[in-house]
Amino acid sequence: MQTIPADPFAFPFERGRLGLIIIDMQRDFVEPGGFGASLGNDVSRLGAIVPTVARLLAGFRRAGLPVIHTRECHRPDLSDLPDAKRDRGTPNLRIGEPGPMGRLLVAGEAGAEIVPELAPMPGETVLDKPGKGAFCRTNFEALLQERGLRHLIFAGVTTEVCVQTTMREANDRGYDCLLATDATESYFQSFKAATIEMITAQGGIVGWAASTDKILEVLSA
Amino acid sequence: MKTINSHPYQWPYNGDLRPENTALIIIDMQTDFCGKGGYVDAMGYDLTLTRAPIAPIKEVLSAMREKGYHILHTREGHRPDLSDLPANKRWRSQQIGAGIGDPGPCGKILVRGEPGWDIIEELYPKDGETIIDKPGKGSFYATDLEMVLRMRGIENLVVCGITTDVCVSTTMREANDRGFECVVLEDCCGATDKGNHDASMKMVTMQGGVFGAVADSKTLIAGLV
Repeated sequence: MQTIPADPFAFPFERGRLGLIIIDMQRDFVEPGGFGASLGNDVSRLGAIVPTVARLLAGFRRAGLPVIHTRECHRPDLSDLPDAKRDRGTPNLRIGEPGPMGRLLVAGEAGAEIVPELAPMPGETVLDKPGKGAFCRTNFEALLQERGLRHLIFAGVTTEVCVQTTMREANDRGYDCLLATDATESYFQSFKAATIEMITAQGGIVGWAASTDKILEVLSA
Repeated sequence: MKTINSHPYQWPYNGDLRPENTALIIIDMQTDFCGKGGYVDAMGYDLTLTRAPIAPIKEVLSAMREKGYHILHTREGHRPDLSDLPANKRWRSQQIGAGIGDPGPCGKILVRGEPGWDIIEELYPKDGETIIDKPGKGSFYATDLEMVLRMRGIENLVVCGITTDVCVSTTMREANDRGFECVVLEDCCGATDKGNHDASMKMVTMQGGVFGAVADSKTLIAGLV
């Protein structure tokens, strides 16, 4: 057992059961002209964490530990897109409609790809998911079980939506979850802060939080 | 390496048979499926077929209890308001004259809390044994079975109960797809039709054990660690 200094207390883990989960670092969310921007968000906040996520990713690759990348996207025929998700709030651009980077949030389109700086390497798993949580209607749990993973480090976007939903799902399923606080971001600064508080409250009711440097120090030790 | 003398291969595949990682799962040994006045009786089937496994299951249960294996029991049944009963399942049960939720000699058929729905006295769960209530044939669908198995580190399942071709077979297939290593005990299962029982067993053993392995109660007990 090793430990990472974290909030609300040290995060214990077995090295062979530790994995990195990078949530939805897709061009649609992070780059100007994507889905996030079409909803009127300031995407520069998200772009700013890319170098930190890249450092965390490099650390896991150096340590030879597994990495799973998720992408939120839908089938080209939109058969896995709930009406409520498509129509809510009558956005200017709906999921499935053509945008500057291809059809919004559709698998195979440029905007649904992971940003080039964090592109998955051969052997790293990419999980496409139709919802916010990575467990809903996917084989994520089977992938974790096959690799024997029990301890998960989370990075990616956005903190309070897809990252937090997935951490809550994982926590209920018995996984130990740690959020890399500077390798995640929200369009709203206050939501990110509140999420970290919610995760670590009540003795780590959802999990742990630590900075990328703290995680990398332990990984490279 | 510790295995059971099963076919088409020695079970479990990796020789890792221990009480800590192995569970007995007894499927649906309820009055509704093998008791007088229950659902199967109401449909007019011969109860001797579904009662035949009671004695051998009892032997296995007692041997595995003694050695400290995990024990799980399942019950098929629906909420009293039938909100978890698919309309087509209800309709089909009504066609054969034993409508789920309708009153019968053992209370409302296949309804949770009714006398007919309970597990038969001979195999009644002990305190501390897990009971899974399921609305379907498979024990994984709409239940917390997988979570319970994962949290306890269970990898191997000894499967038995009734009826062979319906709930036992469905559960074994679900478990197999989820990576659990299964053996089914031939004499600890029963079906409403002997041909279906035999065919279910044969299906397990095709393709090198496509769903796992087949053994019987004596072989299992002899091979238990």
